[in-house]
Amino acid sequence: MLKEWKLKEIVLMSLFGVVFGIVYLLFLHIGNLWAGVIGPLAYEWMFGIWFIVSIISMYIIRKPGAAFLPETLAAAIEVMLGNAIGPRLILSGIIQGLGAEAAFALTRYRHFHVGILMLAGASAGVFSFVYGYFLSGYAALDPSFVALMFTLRVASGAIIAGIGGKYIADALLATGSLRGYAIAKAEKGDARA
Amino acid sequence: MRRLLHEMNPSLKFLAVTACMLALAFFFNPWTPLMFFLGIVLVQLLFSQTNWKLWSLVMLPFVFGAFGYFWTTLVFGESGDGPVLWTIGMIEITAQKWEHAWSLSLRVLAFSSISLLFAFTTDPVRFIQSLMQQGKLSPKLAFSVLISYQFLPVLKTEFEQLQQAHRLRGPGAKPTPFKRITALRRLLIPLLAGAVRKAERAAFAMEARAFTGAARSHYREIKLGHKDYALLGMFSLVLALSCSAVFWT
Repeated sequence: MLKEWKLKEIVLMSLFGVVFGIVYLLFLHIGNLWAGVIGPLAYEWMFGIWFIVSIISMYIIRKPGAAFLPETLAAAIEVMLGNAIGPRLILSGIIQGLGAEAAFALTRYRHFHVGILMLAGASAGVFSFVYGYFLSGYAALDPSFVALMFTLRVASGAIIAGIGGKYIADALLATGSLRGYAIAKAEKGDARA
Repeated sequence: MRRLLHEMNPSLKFLAVTACMLALAFFFNPWTPLMFFLGIVLVQLLFSQTNWKLWSLVMLPFVFGAFGYFWTTLVFGESGDGPVLWTIGMIEITAQKWEHAWSLSLRVLAFSSISLLFAFTTDPVRFIQSLMQQGKLSPKLAFSVLISYQFLPVLKTEFEQLQQAHRLRGPGAKPTPFKRITALRRLLIPLLAGAVRKAERAAFAMEARAFTGAARSHYREIKLGHKDYALLGMFSLVLALSCSAVFWT
């Protein structure tokens, strides 16, 4: 998978993993405080935050794996920095990354407009929910409550990760530091790529 | 003896921890997670040098989380059959609900205990090296991750500088915690822009030193031996014992 990647793209992707690993960890602590008060529902509406690096990285690098790898890495960084969810978090990262990757793979990595990005965020939400359903034992909860959790999570994935991710990547593009990556070439048109 | 868990092969430890967690997810009785939690804490007590004060501090939020799970399951849990133990307002608490609530919240504690065991006894750099040597992780990716990991302190300094620069120009005195979170949005873009430039420079530097990502020999070899398998056996024993709770309760 990494054969077609330039080294600078791999390093950029890893660095995104590190930066968002920290951001994720921060929000994990905030979410935890919430969760003590209002239960698992606390996480659902903000779940999109944890999918965002997939969308940003894929939108910038535009190569197969650019959604899956940084999400996995960010989770690994969260584990390395030490948090009590631990290695299980890497597994959730892998699953969330696969969810986002699936949406891009469906379009054969050709389109990166906002609709696809939102679809990727929503798909990450679906994947992570199926996994959470199994691991956290949502089966023991009331079906209508589970449905509410599901809707909130998917919507949060589409809005926070999809739209938010595009917003951040576009803002980065405007700073000019992304010259030399696929996103800047697409902006200029194929003639100069 | 007290270093055993620290010296265990990190990849194997990671596998053991993940397998334990997946297995625990199948159990809905309160005894299995409880026994597992106690067993893991005992293992960590015997075979590691843990800073228990720090451990308790990190554990604390998860106790809160477990409590959250406990009462949400009581309120929103599936009622199921079985006798009603007692009624609070509109909510009838059946025996099944009561058991599920205990099980789910103890599961949070069981998961946190094994995760903390991993976090407290694993050196990140050794973990990556082991993944590269035993797990066949691509060196291209592994070294990129190690480099990015080394950037952490740099990014932290940069983050503080940005924060100070922003404060110098605008918002004034010490921000409240809530404002600090909303201000993150403004700090994230410049921080990322700096990170992108650093990534590019690091990649050039690696290429300039003839790093191609081809197969390579290792200075620090991470081994996989009898001790590691013995520890794996011990984790399996703890898991098997706690899973057997199904039969005698």
